[in-house]
Amino acid sequence: MLRYLAKRGITYVFMIFLTTSAGYFLAVTSLKPALLEQERIPRPTPEQVANSMRLKGLDPTLSPWERYVDWLTGIVTRWDWGRSPNGAYINAEFGDRVWISTRLFLAAIILTLVIGVGLGVYSAARQYQYQDRVITSYSYLAYIVPAPIAYFLVQLGAININETFGGRILFVTGISTPGVEPGWPQFVDMLAHYAVPTVAITLVGWGSYQIAQRQYLLDNVNADFVRTARAKGLTRNQAISRHALRVSFIPVAQSIAFTIPAIFAGGFFAEKIFAWPGIGSWSIDAISLQDVNAATATLAYGSVIFALGAILADFATTLVDPRVRVQ
Amino acid sequence: MTNLNAVDPAAVAEEAHLQGADVVIGKSTIIFRRFMRNRTAVAGLIIFLALTAFSFVGGYFTQWDKETIDAFNIGMPPSGEHFLGTSQAGIDLYAMTVEGTRISILIGLIVGLVSVLVAAVYGCTMAYFGGKVDKVMLFVLEALIMMPALLVVAVATSGGGDGLKRDLPSWLLLIIVLLVFSWMGTARLIRSLSMSLMQRDYVKAAQYMGVPPRRIVWRHLVPNIGSLLVLDITRGVTGAILAEVAFSFIGIGIKVPDVSLGVLIGGATSQVQTFPWMFWVPLTVMFLLTGSLAMMNDGLRDAFDPSSSSIGRARTNSASKNNARTNSAKKKRA
Repeated sequence: MLRYLAKRGITYVFMIFLTTSAGYFLAVTSLKPALLEQERIPRPTPEQVANSMRLKGLDPTLSPWERYVDWLTGIVTRWDWGRSPNGAYINAEFGDRVWISTRLFLAAIILTLVIGVGLGVYSAARQYQYQDRVITSYSYLAYIVPAPIAYFLVQLGAININETFGGRILFVTGISTPGVEPGWPQFVDMLAHYAVPTVAITLVGWGSYQIAQRQYLLDNVNADFVRTARAKGLTRNQAISRHALRVSFIPVAQSIAFTIPAIFAGGFFAEKIFAWPGIGSWSIDAISLQDVNAATATLAYGSVIFALGAILADFATTLVDPRVRVQ
Repeated sequence: MTNLNAVDPAAVAEEAHLQGADVVIGKSTIIFRRFMRNRTAVAGLIIFLALTAFSFVGGYFTQWDKETIDAFNIGMPPSGEHFLGTSQAGIDLYAMTVEGTRISILIGLIVGLVSVLVAAVYGCTMAYFGGKVDKVMLFVLEALIMMPALLVVAVATSGGGDGLKRDLPSWLLLIIVLLVFSWMGTARLIRSLSMSLMQRDYVKAAQYMGVPPRRIVWRHLVPNIGSLLVLDITRGVTGAILAEVAFSFIGIGIKVPDVSLGVLIGGATSQVQTFPWMFWVPLTVMFLLTGSLAMMNDGLRDAFDPSSSSIGRARTNSASKNNARTNSAKKKRA
């Protein structure tokens, strides 16, 4: 088991290296921070710009390959991901933001999974009854709404709630109120900030899991092994929960690998709309500020998230699938 | 001893009779009939066709276009002169919606069709050759999945660009980038389906007979995964439209002066309280577009599903008479 995961891990490390390198070349050839620098007032001379860029390790006169080698040596020898055109260190910036993103998405991802799979099982057990129809129609509705627009609509709804109650109950933007005293008030404040984005991400997210879980479970409900289990004297519900459920979860577990990066990608939108200064909004800002190193760092983070999702999916599959026995 | 290979004239006659009598229904006819039987799917198709027609001829019903500024009507609600009102800059919203719908449909159709084609070729090639080729191609595929598409879109369409970005309109650039990042999931699915098809006897037989790979893929693999391909086209079209709207919504992707539904919706969010029609009109059009595709998707899935339990109405007139006749013919021979 551990050896198998380690082997997968090594493949993914190699893959992360390749995608990050490709991303670096893409960024370094198309992002030109020096151009932005020249728009400052008073306008610096080209020599001044080149000099300040060189001090930050962003020398525009070097070829992309030379800059790549510099950048890579920095990471390998000192774990230094370089600096932004404004002088900030990527490592420090990244450290702050990665926790904000994780805090925002961890709860939402778990809720999405649990609600999606749970409702999938619930609706499959009541196929074509009104509960199934309502839940499944909702899931199709969630599928045709682009994530940012759904977030925006939830935000509008929260604003309406605030207006109806005539006070600020829910916070539609930001991560915390400055100057709230620690302890209980801070905790309440945190929850008030969490509620809207988490609800929004979960509402958009669980539809696809529900459809997938319902479909796979229905495929298995009439399978031979379930019939055998019933022939041995189990009730229908027992047969489904002990036999069909487990097998039907395998493809869903596999799809987690591809939906975790999707939720992360949705994170760009969530962070942008709810104004959480996490990795997603940072990456968009980095590109508009022509920040090569920050853009590459966020891309590398995206790849790592994908790899973690894929390994997690493998792990989940080995847990539930009796056919997979890894030495 | 009878010759087993001899053609039985009675059987030939019956075949011809069956075909002529419309008892044997062609595959495409079955699919078409099943699709038409699904009311929701047909409604979806009608809405989609109506929107497409609207996006091409809708512009002729108004004197305004997406560039003319009506300085006397700035930020006006819908009226007789401006069917859907005007933007803050005084541009007719109806004209912009027509244009935006066309760009969004165009992006959806091109990306949906081409990405499924690419996925089919890539997935089939992987499954056909297997082994090392499969490993290398799977690696490339997973590496592409790992790249967050949004960042690449943002980099590719961000300002300060060189030749390519200046010369290409932003919608074409977005199509290219979406294409690069939209085929991998389908390709993986096609690979796994084709792999099981490769184990079938008829593919093995074709291989032993020396049929070239390209023809095996085209003759045996593609028709067998055809239903999946059709489904993925509608799904791909929806996905591309959603991606375009999402990207343009937060300001990357399509850039002004090009208009799309995403640009219109995204541009209107800051004034949704003061100019609500500017937000809700393009949003409604987008819902109709993606909703109609989703409705069709369900009907297509049912129509192409070989194990579909969708049952047709029994045909009362000629068909049943023919059936009776063939039955009696069979009895006579027996």
